[in-house]
Amino acid sequence: MQIELALFAHLTPYLPPAGAEDESGSSHARPMDLPDGTTVGQVITRLDLPAGPRIVFVNGRHAPDDHSLANGDRLAIFPPVAGG
Amino acid sequence: MPYPTHPVPAPDEYAALRARLGSSRVGVIGLGGLGSNVAWMLARAGVGTLVLADHDVVDASNLERQFYFADQVGREKTAALTDNLRRITAELRLECFQAHIDQSNIGSIFGGVDVLVEAVDSARDKALIVAAASEQLPGVPIVAASGIAGYGSPNDIITRHLMGDVWMVGDLVSEVSAEHPLFASRVAIAAGHQAHMTVRLLLGYPQA
Repeated sequence: MQIELALFAHLTPYLPPAGAEDESGSSHARPMDLPDGTTVGQVITRLDLPAGPRIVFVNGRHAPDDHSLANGDRLAIFPPVAGG
Repeated sequence: MPYPTHPVPAPDEYAALRARLGSSRVGVIGLGGLGSNVAWMLARAGVGTLVLADHDVVDASNLERQFYFADQVGREKTAALTDNLRRITAELRLECFQAHIDQSNIGSIFGGVDVLVEAVDSARDKALIVAAASEQLPGVPIVAASGIAGYGSPNDIITRHLMGDVWMVGDLVSEVSAEHPLFASRVAIAAGHQAHMTVRLLLGYPQA
């Protein structure tokens, strides 16, 4: 299956390299091929994202780490930083 | 472009816009440098009801950037802010909760708000609040902030539609630290962004 992965702020260097088929032109989003049933947590492990708080959305709603992804899903991960 | 970016209301339309804000209800989580300033801006903009929550008391160190005064040090922030907002407009309706907000109480306290403003300090709480709001307050726009510390350019603070119902204000990377403290001016810029994005959402203009 293929999902769209969007990483923000200091996570953008962890995006997989853009493939030739990637015509989205987005600097923070890429298509990503994954085995069926891959969970959000498994994507985070696979990308080796740094530890720290994350806002994780799938298709515009919060999703926990054990959420199983489906073909065509849009996974977005944002790392908030302190200050308020 | 589905929404006009610079609507210019006629006089009768202006009255309608004020009426729309007056019938609106906005939640603010965290009444520090962001939230206390967002609250007075929304009060002056004419938002009718504010639901305010914070677990903290006013500290002397808060006075350098937060909307409190020296004679309020030691008071609960919800009580001190209530007094300050009432001095701006007595008509403002306030619902105050002296509480730490998490997934156990966000739904019951902020159910029915038109917009929710995330204005807490810690990154962990920011993530927790956005996640809990997404689950328990579906469809409610959340105006959050991340990256407001230090003396970086004022123009790096922007508002963006991040994902789903989440709008994010800040430069996204400037974390508060000993080297990058919070300055009243830059925090106020971010608070202004949050308050104005809230006003736009209330008026039906979701484009950042």
